[in-house]
Amino acid sequence: MGRGWIPVLVGAVVVVCTFALAQARVFEPSVPAAGAVAGGDVYRGETVFQRECAGCHGAGGKGGGVGPRLSGAGIDVATVTAAVQLGRGVMPAGLVSGRDEADVVAYVVSISTG
Amino acid sequence: MLLGDVSETYTDLVTTVFSSTIAAKAWLASAALLLALVQVTTAARIYGRVSFLPERGPAISRVHRWSGRVAFLLTLPVFFHCVTILGFQTPDTRVALHSLVGTFFYGVFAAKVLIVRDRSLPGWALPTAGLTLASILGALWLTSSLWYFTTVRFGL
Repeated sequence: MGRGWIPVLVGAVVVVCTFALAQARVFEPSVPAAGAVAGGDVYRGETVFQRECAGCHGAGGKGGGVGPRLSGAGIDVATVTAAVQLGRGVMPAGLVSGRDEADVVAYVVSISTG
Repeated sequence: MLLGDVSETYTDLVTTVFSSTIAAKAWLASAALLLALVQVTTAARIYGRVSFLPERGPAISRVHRWSGRVAFLLTLPVFFHCVTILGFQTPDTRVALHSLVGTFFYGVFAAKVLIVRDRSLPGWALPTAGLTLASILGALWLTSSLWYFTTVRFGL
């Protein structure tokens, strides 16, 4: 086997290592796990939150707008779901629904209790 | 939990600059892609395939090398978030394709770095590796940043 195979072999090893690392998800947040809150996907919820909620609750729910700070506020699933569905204060009801709602609830709970 | 804290710390750090971790990845990947295009263009000049750039020489080579180095550095936070926090996922075609192609990125990068340093290899090896790497980065951008910009950020 000539030297030309060395880059290919090293590249293949790196690919395998990357895949193993990706499967391990060593730094995946343990509480709550992505996708584990009320059937929602935390990661996708982050994008929904940024689009629909960050204007009032700030980036990452850290406050700064007319809405309260959500990050670290310790809000549970039922409270977040109620706020989204029924509205709260100046927040209108039903800003998001369906899968978006489940995802954004999962995200808010993750930043709230994480 | 220690491992969970790493993710939180990363998120806190990133959101001091960007609006979210996904926004950070989208912008960093876009910058990396831009630099990859610089890489491809300057490589084409070095190989004499284009003539609209200034003369071949140390300046072009320097731009080529530094654009590659900076592009690599820009991909590291993206790698950290995608691989160690999100992992390999297949919930839909876009994410599955992104995960699959992304798995090969650093493998091709490592191969390309070795090919650059090995002058005994055939002349086509380096351009092939470079173009493959740039194509992978382009595919990754199309399946992530483009999706982010069109569906989330700008709602096109």
